[in-house]
Amino acid sequence: MAPLKNLETEYPIIDSNFQNFCASHGIFSVEDFLIHDLYMLAAFAEQNVSSERLKEGITQILSIIDDMHQPWLNGMELLEDAKRNKHFLPTGIQGVDLLLGGGIRVGQLTELVGPSASGKTQVCLQTASNVARNYMMLYLDTGNSFSPQRIAYFLGKTNELASAQAKNQILQKVMSNILCHSVFDIFAMFDVLHQLESNLRCQERGGGCRIRLLIVDSISLLIAPVLGGTSTRGRALMASAGYLLKKLAHQHNLAVLVINHTVGSEGGTSKPALGDSWKSIPHSRLLLSCDRGSNVYNVSILKHPSMVCWG
Amino acid sequence: MGSKAWLVEDESAREMLDRVLTERPFLLLPPLHRVPLRVGNIVEIVGPSPSAKTHILIQAAITCILPRQWKGVNYGGLGHLAMFLDLDCRFDISRFSDLLNHRIMEAANGSSSEVDCQIKESEAQNATTKPYNEELFASCMRRFLYIRCYDSSEFLATLKTLHYRLQKERETHGVNVHVLLIDSIGAFHWIDRGSSSFSLEGDTRKSLHLQSVTETVVQEIRKLLLVHPMLVMATKAAVLGNRYSMNDSKRNYRTWSAKDNLHSRNVTSSDQQVPYREYMPAVWQSLITHRILVRTTDADFVNGEHQNVSTYLSEWLLPPLNSVDKFIVRDTGVFVLS
Repeated sequence: MAPLKNLETEYPIIDSNFQNFCASHGIFSVEDFLIHDLYMLAAFAEQNVSSERLKEGITQILSIIDDMHQPWLNGMELLEDAKRNKHFLPTGIQGVDLLLGGGIRVGQLTELVGPSASGKTQVCLQTASNVARNYMMLYLDTGNSFSPQRIAYFLGKTNELASAQAKNQILQKVMSNILCHSVFDIFAMFDVLHQLESNLRCQERGGGCRIRLLIVDSISLLIAPVLGGTSTRGRALMASAGYLLKKLAHQHNLAVLVINHTVGSEGGTSKPALGDSWKSIPHSRLLLSCDRGSNVYNVSILKHPSMVCWG
Repeated sequence: MGSKAWLVEDESAREMLDRVLTERPFLLLPPLHRVPLRVGNIVEIVGPSPSAKTHILIQAAITCILPRQWKGVNYGGLGHLAMFLDLDCRFDISRFSDLLNHRIMEAANGSSSEVDCQIKESEAQNATTKPYNEELFASCMRRFLYIRCYDSSEFLATLKTLHYRLQKERETHGVNVHVLLIDSIGAFHWIDRGSSSFSLEGDTRKSLHLQSVTETVVQEIRKLLLVHPMLVMATKAAVLGNRYSMNDSKRNYRTWSAKDNLHSRNVTSSDQQVPYREYMPAVWQSLITHRILVRTTDADFVNGEHQNVSTYLSEWLLPPLNSVDKFIVRDTGVFVLS
C-alpha cells in the first residue's frame, strides 16, 4: 500500500496538487483507487481549477491499475501454454498414473486424502524419487516423515538391472535434486513459499535447473490448528495458502501435491479434513485407502476437472 | 421546420422488436433452457462443489463463440466474444477445447450418435474433416478471452479496466462481447472477511474489506452493463441446507442465519424456503436477476455404452419454478435428460 507520493518521480503528472485532490476524497494510495468510483472522481475534477491535469492524472492511474492484474489471454494462447508447459509428471505408481491419465499435472494443485497410515507419505516419497530423476523438487515436511532411506529403497527397486556404479550415480543425482524443508506452522510455510516465488522469478530470467514439483506433507497439519470455530482468520489463511499454491503452480509451471487427512462425519463415515471451504480449492482430489487384510492400496478420484467421480 | 424533424418516426414498434430480437437474441442454454436469457440479465448459478457449475459456464461460452453458420454448416452459435473471469483459478483449457471440438464435430456431422460411432471407427474420417475444423476451431478459440484473478485487488483492477478492454476487443474482432462469465463470485470471501476492516486515517478512508469490495464490484458491473450490454453469469459455491442434505439429523439452519447477520440477508424462516446458506452481502443479492441451483444426485444415469455418468439436478430459484431438471455432462456438453 505505497502512498501516492512515491509515484511522483516516475509519473510527474501525479504531483502534489493531484495528491491533495485525492486526499480530499480519502484516497492515499493506488489500492484506494480500486474501491472508489473513478467517474465520480473525474466529475469532481471537472469542477476544480486544474481540471485537465487532474483528469490526466486519473488516466495515468488507470494505466497503472491496468498493470495490476494478470494479462488477458485468448483461448489459443492458453491452449499453447497448456501444450507447451503443462505436462504430466509420472509418479511411478501405476495405479495413480493410470487414474490421472499420465501423472500429476503441472500447473494444477492435486490433493491426496486418506486416513492415517494409508500410505500417503509413501506415495509422496515414491513420487519424489521418480520425479527427482529428471527435475528438481521441493518437499515441505511437517511431521518429520521424509526418509532418504525410503527414497533409496524405491530407487533400488526400479533399477534392479543397473550396475552398482550406475545405481550410485542415479542415487546421487536424485538426492541432490530433492530439497527438503521442515515447516511446523503455516507462517513458516508462507515464508518458504514466498522465498520460492522470488527465487523462481529470478531464475526465469537467468535460466538454470528449475523446480518442477512441490509436495506439502501434510497441509492439513499446518492449517488445522488455525481453523477455529467462529474465527474467520483461519479460513482466510487457508484460502490464501491455496491461492498461493495455485499461483506458483500456474505461473512457474510446477506440479503441486498436498496431503490431507480425514475426519469423521455424521453417520460414521469419514470425510476429508479442512471442511467445505477447502473443498473447492484443489483441482483434483484423490482418496487413498488401505485394506489391512490384503495389504492392497486403493486410489479413487473425489474430484477432477475433466473426470466425473462416482459415488 | 427543424422541430418537426423530431416528430418523424424512426421505426415502427414491429421493426424495433425485430431489430432488438436479432441483435440481442434470447439464449436458451441447457440446463438453463426453461428461462430465456438475454443481455442485461445477471444469472447466479449456485451449488455445492462439485456440481458441474463451471461446465454450464463453458457451455454458454461455446454457444457464444461458435458462429451461426460456417461453410454451409449450421452451428447455432452467436459468433460473438465471450469473456471468462477465473477467480477460482481452476479452469482447464484442455477440457474446454475438447468440448468445443466435439460441438463442432457434432454440428458438422449432423447428430451426436454418429459422432460417437465415427470416433470409434475411423481416424481417417477425422483426418479429412480436420483441416476445415482447425480453422474454425482456431477462430472460435480466439474469441474466448480469459483472465485469472488471484485476489480481490486483481479482480477489482480487472473490472475497472474492463471498459477499455471491451472497446479494444470490439475494435480488434469487430464483434461485441456477449457473455461475461465469473467463476466463482464468492472465491475471495474468506480472504476479504479476514482482512482488517478498521480504518486507518479516521473515517474518511475506505479499506479493502468484504463490504467495500462487493459494493465496488456491483457498481462496476452495473456501469459496464450500461455501456456494454452483456449477459453476466456467475457461479457461486454454497453449502446446501437441510432440505438436500443426506442426513436429516439436525435442523440447525436457524443458528446459521443468526450468526452472520452483518453480511447475509436473513432468508425467510419457513423450512421449505432455505435450500442453501447465503453468504454474499445483500448488495450482490440485489444485483442478481436470475438464480438457479444445481447439485448432484446419487442416481446414476447409464449411458449407451454402459458407462455410469453422474446426474445433476437443476432447479430455478429466481424466478421460482417448481420443476427440477435432470442433466448430465457429456463430451459434447450439457445434455438435459428430462
